[in-house]
Amino acid sequence: MTAPAAPVARERSAPVAGAGPGRRTRRVIVYALLIGYGLLMLVPFAWSVSTSFKTLPDVNDVSFIPDPVTLDAWRYAWETLDPPIPRLFLNSIILSVAVMVTNLILASIAGYAFARLRFPGREALFIVVLATLMIPDQLRLVPIYVLFNGLGLTRGDLQYVAVVLVLAVSATSVFLMRQAFLSMPVELEEAARIDGAGFFTTFRKVMLPLAGPALAAVAILQFQGTWNSFFWPLILMRDRENWPLPLGLVQFRLAGGFATNWPPLMAAVVMATIPIVVLYLFFQRYFVQGVAASGVKG
Amino acid sequence: MTIGGRSLRPDRRPGSNARSSGPPGRRSEAVAGYLFIAVPMALFLVLFIGSIGYAGWISLWDWNLRLGPEEFRGLDHYTRALRDPTFQRALSNALWYALLWIPLTMALGLSLAVIVNQPLRGRTFFRATFYFPAIASSAAITLLWILLVAPDGLFNQAREAMGLNPLFELFGWGPKQNWMGDQRTALLSVVVLNAWTTSGTFMLFYLASLQGIPNDVYEAAAIDGAGPWQSFWRITFPLLRPGHYFVATVALIGALQLFDQAYIGGGVNGDPNNSLMSPVLYLYNSAFQQSDFSKAAAVGVILFVIILSATLVQRHFLGRTPAS
Repeated sequence: MTAPAAPVARERSAPVAGAGPGRRTRRVIVYALLIGYGLLMLVPFAWSVSTSFKTLPDVNDVSFIPDPVTLDAWRYAWETLDPPIPRLFLNSIILSVAVMVTNLILASIAGYAFARLRFPGREALFIVVLATLMIPDQLRLVPIYVLFNGLGLTRGDLQYVAVVLVLAVSATSVFLMRQAFLSMPVELEEAARIDGAGFFTTFRKVMLPLAGPALAAVAILQFQGTWNSFFWPLILMRDRENWPLPLGLVQFRLAGGFATNWPPLMAAVVMATIPIVVLYLFFQRYFVQGVAASGVKG
Repeated sequence: MTIGGRSLRPDRRPGSNARSSGPPGRRSEAVAGYLFIAVPMALFLVLFIGSIGYAGWISLWDWNLRLGPEEFRGLDHYTRALRDPTFQRALSNALWYALLWIPLTMALGLSLAVIVNQPLRGRTFFRATFYFPAIASSAAITLLWILLVAPDGLFNQAREAMGLNPLFELFGWGPKQNWMGDQRTALLSVVVLNAWTTSGTFMLFYLASLQGIPNDVYEAAAIDGAGPWQSFWRITFPLLRPGHYFVATVALIGALQLFDQAYIGGGVNGDPNNSLMSPVLYLYNSAFQQSDFSKAAAVGVILFVIILSATLVQRHFLGRTPAS
């Protein structure tokens, strides 16, 4: 599986390079590599879908079209898993929407202030925000758990609050919003001020509506990140009825007697992944924007 | 301070020019600024910056979750962790993981970026496809992986069908190799798993970096008779230095934070036989299996120091942009 690395790099052709038969062969090779690697990316997912429609004895049958096709595994997963799948979905939705909303609000006001308002210490504080990206989650595990445990946030429904609080605002979100506000023309803001609008009104009525693409990128990035998050819910959620999907999936395998019952487990995996795949199909460019932005910022 | 080759300071400082409001306007602007950042900044200061100090403080005491500090122990918890063979195993696993996973994933990401950066038909589609595995949750993808690399799984059957088994025999891996269940190959399986899911992300990072290289450099090279292979190694690769630095830093931090896949694949002990024990898994066990929060805090600080110094070393070797 490590093989593609070196030969692929060889195919870099400068925009003006080569012509004739050599070029044609190279194109064929490039497309073969692209399609081959693309298949490596997609086949495992196709396999999980295929497995979810199989019977247990057929699991190791190398055929992507199950024979017979059965919905038994889906039904079994839906009826047997504990906490039930609708509950896991509800929990994932609650957490993901809450984290998305807090990030949108907190990152846009902070991003606006860092981009547009002058106050002493602004640059230093922004560097502090960026520096938080260097602080790994594992260093935060103990202090945050001890703090939240002391505040009672690790018990009952407050566990939701605990997870949302940890993920409530990220430096990446602030950075994305600040970039968006930095690129807006000063004149609009000045016109609003001359009309007597206060700082908050200017922000909310004039500037924020222009930040649509950045808001979309933050929303997608945070929704997806929280939907997939495993670490913090594992740390902060003791009660299984509060668990989001990833914790449920893993629990089914480790302790739920599903260790070798692959079709229902894959049915649950497919169900948990579908919402993100749909988001990706519709909002692909915002996914890419979010990643590219974190590439710029470090 | 520059990260990824770009200055953190805004290119233009809005407000420093046009607005000619006097000191009262400026003061109210400052007040508004502080009000705007108050809540987010409080969260950053308490949950990020403050947690460094708190972790350090907890690590110096015998810490009772309910009662707080009980007895001052100085650096005892650090020496206790560092002397624990399980933690040493976790560190050596992390080192192996980093040595295998970082170069592999960077090479894949760079190769993909260079290819899809060319004017090819369908390149948007290929980009989207290559990034696809990165969008799924670690839980879903690890479970799927365990199925794929099981003894009778798709991977073993596919390599048999393709006649690749003699190649695997060279390494002593039989046709029914239990990749995740064999302590010799469990970590390697996770390396390949994470290379698979992360190569698309690194491709996007490198694409952003590639777009900063002006086309006329290549034109000049082509006029001088440089082939594609030469222009890649002589021009693209060196000019991507800020990109290499950024990707390597992200990769290193990611490698030292390995947790989800190890926990899902091998449970709390990183089975089989600690072969998937990672430093963060060790930290997690200290806190939640052994209720030893002080040792867990000490491990967190140790990892932070390792990450910070490794980043600084990388910055020293890769961080400076070449004089152009």
